[in-house]
Amino acid sequence: MDELLEYGIYLALLVALAIPLSGYINKVMAGERVAVLSRVLVPVENVVYRCIRVDRADVMGWKRYLISALVFSALSLAGLFAILMLQGVLPGNPEGLPGLTWDLAFNTAASFVTNTNWQAYSGESALSYFSQAIGLTVQNFVTPAVGMAVLFALFRGLVSEGGPGLGNFFVDATRAVLFVLIPLALVVTVVDVWQGSPQNVSEYQEVQLLEPVGIDSEGEVVEADDPAAVQVIDEGVVPMGPQASQVAIKQLGTNGGGYNGVNSASALENPTPLTNLVQCISLLLIPFALVFSFGRFVADRRQGRAIFAAMFIVLVASLAVIAFFEQVGTPQLAADGSVYMGTYDQSGGNMEGKEARFGVTDSSLWAAFTTAASNGSVNSMHDSYTPIGGMVPIILMGLGEIIGGGIGCGLYGMIGFVILTVFIAGLMVGRTPEYLGKKIGPREMRMATILCITTPMVLLIGAAVMCLDPATVDSLNNSGAHGFSEVLYAATSAGGNNGSAFAGFNGNTPMINVVLGFEMLANRFIPLAATLVLAGSLCTRPKVAVSAGTLSTSNAMFVFLLILIVLLVGALSMFPALALGPIAEQLHMVL
Amino acid sequence: MRQAKIWGSAALFFLVTTILCGVVYTAVCTGVAQLFFPYQANGSIIEVDGTKYGSELVGQEFHDQNHMWGRLTNANVSTFTDDEGNPVMWYGPSSLSPASDDFAATVQARIDEIHAAHPEKGDEPIPSDLVTNSGSGFDPHISPAAAEYQVERLAKNTGKTPSEIRAIIEQCTEQPQFGILGDARVNVLKVNLMLDGILQ
Repeated sequence: MDELLEYGIYLALLVALAIPLSGYINKVMAGERVAVLSRVLVPVENVVYRCIRVDRADVMGWKRYLISALVFSALSLAGLFAILMLQGVLPGNPEGLPGLTWDLAFNTAASFVTNTNWQAYSGESALSYFSQAIGLTVQNFVTPAVGMAVLFALFRGLVSEGGPGLGNFFVDATRAVLFVLIPLALVVTVVDVWQGSPQNVSEYQEVQLLEPVGIDSEGEVVEADDPAAVQVIDEGVVPMGPQASQVAIKQLGTNGGGYNGVNSASALENPTPLTNLVQCISLLLIPFALVFSFGRFVADRRQGRAIFAAMFIVLVASLAVIAFFEQVGTPQLAADGSVYMGTYDQSGGNMEGKEARFGVTDSSLWAAFTTAASNGSVNSMHDSYTPIGGMVPIILMGLGEIIGGGIGCGLYGMIGFVILTVFIAGLMVGRTPEYLGKKIGPREMRMATILCITTPMVLLIGAAVMCLDPATVDSLNNSGAHGFSEVLYAATSAGGNNGSAFAGFNGNTPMINVVLGFEMLANRFIPLAATLVLAGSLCTRPKVAVSAGTLSTSNAMFVFLLILIVLLVGALSMFPALALGPIAEQLHMVL
Repeated sequence: MRQAKIWGSAALFFLVTTILCGVVYTAVCTGVAQLFFPYQANGSIIEVDGTKYGSELVGQEFHDQNHMWGRLTNANVSTFTDDEGNPVMWYGPSSLSPASDDFAATVQARIDEIHAAHPEKGDEPIPSDLVTNSGSGFDPHISPAAAEYQVERLAKNTGKTPSEIRAIIEQCTEQPQFGILGDARVNVLKVNLMLDGILQ
């Protein structure tokens, strides 16, 4: 019962916070004043515009908006790539870490500039404080801001009738960073530090081990008094650094790149169940708020609620499946009754790869939330989930990251599916499709189709290329069907701009770094461009009056149709691959 | 001309956000953290008489008969070194599929190790967190069930009574937050520091 109550608290709190935030976001993006914050932040905002030589009244059409977004992202990619390569000679590097290899630097720069945060390295042992705070944290702020800006350009295209354009990219991105992301991140940082997360610029701490161990001549760990021991290790390490500040924005900005290799499973990043609650809600808070913002923006809140309902139903169904299979566990763990799997005085169930303070409940919630949002941080190792428990995250990512999804891109991806649904429903009743009073023409349909199929195409091509290289086998941590699942998960995570991993998989080879790097870039910028073309095209169309024959896009029937289309496209593209991976593993386990 | 202006603004925007979100934001967070929560912000290090015994948040590996055992871990001595270049201990998760034969073998090996050290427990099922690796590989906690399972062994090997052991466990147990969030858990390092008489 307690478990059900906890699931309820997470879901209810998420919705309860997203609704008021949606109104605030709309105010901010429209340039209106907000209480208290405006007094502090408007002067900063004005300084930013002066520094970057932007006139806030300068309204852009879709082409200039798109070029601005692309140029800014390209410069970010180059800047971050340079920081990572030059890490060894830059300041803020007390551990004296060297620069990254070119392929890892490319992969990591592409990853953080596309809001993916796939990590083929372990942060605490590969990156300096400068790279983490000045390189990565900055992208954690600006990439969600770019997503939010493009989304609002689409909103403006949907409501305007040949109006003045789509807004100003730099103004939109600045306001998203200053008024939405920084204030929320400060709040989350303070909670994390209060609960135990480190926030400093000191050297790593070395501590005395209570039970020293020995290592033999092969580097294997043995007992300290073993005759084969050539060296005794009596010290352990505690990684330090500005962890809490980076963790806060990694959760809020649908980024997900952990400070530490094991991400929020580390008690340093996520020390208590309270930080787990705060961070887990942060995963989906802004993506869901933007759905309600959409309803408010088009002055018909039912439109937002309908899309939210479709997302929420898929989220809860996914969560239920993950939680069920993880609580049951596997026969390999139960070991013929030698292991107690029940819930008296313990979480029970499949505890492999899960932390004792979280158990199955908090871990399942996180797994569902982080792959519904295109966040990709983890608080448990998805590689060690049961076959079906680990398949659900793959599906959530493979659907195109639209169940909340990334900030901005999640909703514009979903609007692509809405337009596709309107089109198919229109064909069924024999009417010209229209959405929010705008006729959907061939150009809009082409763009909506690109939005719907980019993710499945990119991820299947990526998975196929990796499978064609025999060397990929060396990257696997598990064999058989689960080994293929590791490749599929990596391709899907990069192709969906998620960034989580079946972490046993070693993605740090030149081949895989490059393949996944291009996957991430393609899935970020192709839909982004399609969205702005769509916005530019919709913006010129006049509104048609609603008549009795107009298809409602806000009733239960439409929500049902939308879910159906999303699942159909997902199933058609993903099923053959899933059959070879998790489904085969599940059948092998039970038969 | 217009194109050139966009490149200029974009480059300047990259610089301005780098200063604002990279330098100013991180500095403000660090300042607030160090001012109000210095113990947490510096790693929750347990220090007794000038010796640092570890962080409350980083678990260690225990195999001795007079210590409480924690989660399984993959010891890693190749990632970090101290100032003199000697390797220091770090940990990682297994990332094994719980439906695999490799996993079944590690679980069985752990069961055998636990059975050998706890003959008094007979065939009583072992709590599942005691035979599994954690998400981080350095989970500082185990469940109350896993702690209770070890009480008699600890009593036998430390010369304390079972009720003294239970009192120590009780002291190192955190309940679900606000009575509902997360699971009850026992901090293994703290228990062992108390068993050794280092921590009161």
